[in-house]
Amino acid sequence: MSYILQTSRLTKTIGGKELVRDVDIHVKKGEIYGFLGPNGAGKTTVMKMVMNLWKPTQGVIELFGKPLTPQSYEVFRRIGSIIEFPTFYEHMTGFENLRMHCEYMGYYQHGSVDKALEMLHLTEAAKKPVKNYSLGMKERLGIARAILCKPELLILDEPTNGLDPAGMKQIRELLRTLCTEQGTTILVSSHILSEIESMADTIGIIHQGRMRKEIGLKEIEEMSLAYMELTVQNPERAAYVLADQLGLSNFKVLDGGIIRIYDNRVTIEEIAKVLAINEVAVTSLGRKAETLEDYFLKLTGEVKADA
Amino acid sequence: MLKLIRLEWKKNNIGKQIRIAVITTAVLMLFMLMTARELETTETLEAYGKSMLDASVALFVHMSYMVFTGVMIAGYIVGAYEKKTINLMFSYPISRAKIILAKVLAVWIFDFVAMVISKALLYAGLLLTKSVTGINAEGLLIGEPSFWLDAVLSSAAMVSISFIALPIGMKMKSSKAAIVAAVIIVCFTQGQIGSVTLVNNMTFYAVLFAVAVASVWLSVRRVEVRDVM
Repeated sequence: MSYILQTSRLTKTIGGKELVRDVDIHVKKGEIYGFLGPNGAGKTTVMKMVMNLWKPTQGVIELFGKPLTPQSYEVFRRIGSIIEFPTFYEHMTGFENLRMHCEYMGYYQHGSVDKALEMLHLTEAAKKPVKNYSLGMKERLGIARAILCKPELLILDEPTNGLDPAGMKQIRELLRTLCTEQGTTILVSSHILSEIESMADTIGIIHQGRMRKEIGLKEIEEMSLAYMELTVQNPERAAYVLADQLGLSNFKVLDGGIIRIYDNRVTIEEIAKVLAINEVAVTSLGRKAETLEDYFLKLTGEVKADA
Repeated sequence: MLKLIRLEWKKNNIGKQIRIAVITTAVLMLFMLMTARELETTETLEAYGKSMLDASVALFVHMSYMVFTGVMIAGYIVGAYEKKTINLMFSYPISRAKIILAKVLAVWIFDFVAMVISKALLYAGLLLTKSVTGINAEGLLIGEPSFWLDAVLSSAAMVSISFIALPIGMKMKSSKAAIVAAVIIVCFTQGQIGSVTLVNNMTFYAVLFAVAVASVWLSVRRVEVRDVM
C-alpha cells in the first residue's frame, strides 16, 4: 500500500527530554486521518517534524513516497497546514494575507482568494485588518489559507480551537467535502474524541509520546470492541462458571455485579443457559458496543474525568 | 530574490518605515540648521578626515540610521521568530537560507538608500539655506567625486556593521536585545571620549565589517537543519 504520508520510528528528543518515540503513522491517499491524543501527547511535535520545522532525532518521514530531508522545499507546494495556531501579518487585511500566501506559494488562479474566503464565511471581514479579527475568525482565516492553493495534503493541528460549536461543525463538513470532492488527504489532530470520531476514516492514537494504535473507524465498529454485559447477583460464582463451563478468559468483573465479556465465540443464549443451569441469578443481559471514548481511555489508561 | 525582498517590504509595512525615515531626516535637518551656525564649519577635523560640517552630517545620519537598522532587524528577522510568522515562511516551497537572506537584504537596501538620500538632502538643505542661516558651507565639497564616494561607502559600511546586532537578537530571541545591541554598536563606532574616537579608524571598521559579514553568515548557517523553536 502506498501512503501520502508515513513515518517510521519517528523520535524527537529536546534537551534530553524524549517528546515522541518510535511513532509510525500511515496516511492513505484521500482519507481523513484523525490524530488523537490528550494535550501534551506529542501530536504537535509529530506535525512539526512532518512540516520540517523540527528535525527528527531518529526515524524517517516520507511524503508522497519520498523521504523528507532538510532540503525538501518543493514538496510544500503540495501541502497546506496549520501548526499550533495560525499567524498573520496583523496590519494587513485577511484578503491581503491570503494574496501574499499565493505569492509565496507561486499559485496564481484568478478568484481563488475570494473563493477560499467565501468557503470560510469571511467575505465580509476580508477587508478588515487581521488585528481586528476574533480568535475564531483567525482560526477560520488560517484554514482558508491552508486550503487556498488546493493542496493534496492538508495538515491541521487542532483546527477547531477557538471556534463555537456551529463553527466546529462547519469545519468538519468542509473537511469532509474537501476529502470527497477534491480528493484532499487530511491529517487532522485533536484531543476531542467526538470531533475525530465524526470525521475521520482512520484514527491514530498517541499517548505520552508513543503511538498506541492506528485503526480504521470501521474496524472499531466491527472488532472485539462490541461486548456482552450482564448483571448478576453473585459475580464470583458467575466468573467461575464462565471460566470453568464455557472456557472464557476474556472478561472483566466490574463493581455492582457487572461482568463484561469480550469473547465473541459464545452467544448470549449460551451464556444465559449456562448461568441458569448453575443457579446464577441474572438481572440483566445484553450486547453493547464500546464507544471510541471507551477504547481511547483503555488505550491511554486514563480515567474518564466526568464519569 | 527581488520578489522576496519586495514581499518583505510589503508585509513589514514599508510605508510606515518610509514615513519614519522622512521624519528622521526632517528632524536632523532642523537640528543641523539650528546648530551648524555654532560650528566651526570649515575646520578640518583630523580624526574624521573631513570638515566639521560634513563630519556632523555623517555622524548624525549614521547614528540615526544605525539605530533604525537595528529596529528593522528586530522587526523583520528577530520579530518573525518571536511572533512565529517564521513558521509560516518556512512552510513555503522556498529555501530557508533564501528567506533569511531576503530579509537581511530588505533591511540593508532600505537603510542604505535611506542613509544616502538623507545625507544628500541634508547637504542640499544646508547649501540652499546658507544665505539665510549664514552657515559657511565651504567644507561641503559636493563637486568632488571623492565626497560622494565617501558618503556612499560610509553608508554601506555603517548599515553593514549594524548587522552585528542580528545574531545577538537571534541568540537571545529578543527584538529588544537586537535594538540595544545596535545602540551599543553606534556608541562604539560613532562615539568619542575626550579626543579618542574610532570614527576614522579603517582597521577598526574593517574588523567590524568582517564581524558583520560573519554575523549574517552565522544567522543563515545551518538554518536548514535547525529546529524552529
